[in-house]
Amino acid sequence: MISFINANCTFRKNAGVKNLNFSIDDGEFVFLTGPSGAGKSTILRLIYMDLFPEKGKVLIRDFDSTRIRDREIPFLRRKVGMIFQDYQLLKDRNVYQNIALALYASHYKTREIKSRVYSILNQVGLGHRVHHRPMELSGGEQQRVAIARALVKEPIVLLADEPTGNLDPRVSIELINLLNKINKKGTAVIVATHNYSLIKRVPGARLIQINEGEITSIT
Amino acid sequence: MTILWFLFKEGFKGLIRSKYSGAFSIIIIAISIMLVGFGYVIARDTLFMVENIRAQFDVDIFIKQTVSRDDIAAFEKKLKKMNEIDHLIYISPEEAAKKFKKEFGEDIFDILDYNPLPPSFTISFTPIYRNLISVEAIANILQSDPVVDEVKYRKNFLIILEKYQRIILFTVLGIFAVLTLISIILTSNSIKMTIFARQDIISTMKLIGATNRFIKIPFVIEGTLEGGLGSLLAALIIYGMFYLQNTYFQSFFDYTVVVSYRFYVALLILGTFLGLIGSRRAIRKFLN
Repeated sequence: MISFINANCTFRKNAGVKNLNFSIDDGEFVFLTGPSGAGKSTILRLIYMDLFPEKGKVLIRDFDSTRIRDREIPFLRRKVGMIFQDYQLLKDRNVYQNIALALYASHYKTREIKSRVYSILNQVGLGHRVHHRPMELSGGEQQRVAIARALVKEPIVLLADEPTGNLDPRVSIELINLLNKINKKGTAVIVATHNYSLIKRVPGARLIQINEGEITSIT
Repeated sequence: MTILWFLFKEGFKGLIRSKYSGAFSIIIIAISIMLVGFGYVIARDTLFMVENIRAQFDVDIFIKQTVSRDDIAAFEKKLKKMNEIDHLIYISPEEAAKKFKKEFGEDIFDILDYNPLPPSFTISFTPIYRNLISVEAIANILQSDPVVDEVKYRKNFLIILEKYQRIILFTVLGIFAVLTLISIILTSNSIKMTIFARQDIISTMKLIGATNRFIKIPFVIEGTLEGGLGSLLAALIIYGMFYLQNTYFQSFFDYTVVVSYRFYVALLILGTFLGLIGSRRAIRKFLN
């Protein structure tokens, strides 16, 4: 589903990734680990094509980083869900509106949007927070809203960039359990984290270790 | 239909969500449109005033004393046929004498025992011939007519008027152009600031797979609304100021502002258009 073929990407001096070669299959759970600045976020950005390799290529299903046109990128991103450490929710909209926005952007009909949003909110346990604004929610709840927004379009893969960075250990575990549950339903999950304690929570997950932009081990 | 409705709603809501930056943008647009509106009225009325002075320019044609009444009538007919002449007045020797008395306070007959004043015509020209070259050419033609004794006009007045009119025209048009340019820049920048304040929406929309058009439309609707509201505010302020001028200060400044409803409609269209173009340009910058 996702393949990195001799991918090199340097977007700042000494920041980037070198000669990446690996694949991720449908329904896999993968942890990208390594110290800060190792290149974990760069790999995720290469997957949702916010960055492009200077050498080599990245393939996501039919999307090829060397061939994709600017106007095709939104269509790729509709198949890739993303969550971030800072949640990236719109503060001037409530939970419902934040999630529905992803569906409006994908041209869904209002009735379907409604049923999908309520259904996904129940799945992440936030059915009672529909009309709250992000600032009225805890960090864990905000991250769950972000997950709901990423999942509501039924992506093929969910990318999580340090998703527990702002959360306390108990909420972090809850979140990883939620991601594991999502993965069990068939969605591939890639989590970039330097929190090694989380990795143990998902038995069977693949582990890709990166250091200074290079893969040091894949297990 | 769902998408279109959603985008329109987003555009309207965006204006409310933007709060201070939106209000600031509307005020800046209103000031810009007011500059253009006042600039236009000042330019128009200055040029009108100069044209009015020019319209008062006339030429006196003095007829030889020996010419018969029939020849004068024939000459008048000839003058009336000339397209260059807008208006003509025949002044008989008797009328000239009356005019003399009125202007100098003395009867010409008391001074000379006879009336030496010749019959004459005072002519004014149609607008396109109210210039030095045309007036000189027409005066030369008239001078060569056998019935004409002398053609007199204030050549220096025309020379000075033409010189200053050119300066006034370029100054006024220059000021108007600068004001229009300032208004375009102000409008564009204020909308840019509104969008800049909400860059998070653009980056979030990009992440969730929104196309550039989907991101752009609400901002363009919002910018157009800001332009429309800004120009409406400007039109109301201008209307109020003209009303005050014409009602309370008319005698003080000896000036009445006359503008039709078309002027206000033009301001509304201009503001809305500037909002549309400004937001399109601004959002394009942020999307790239």
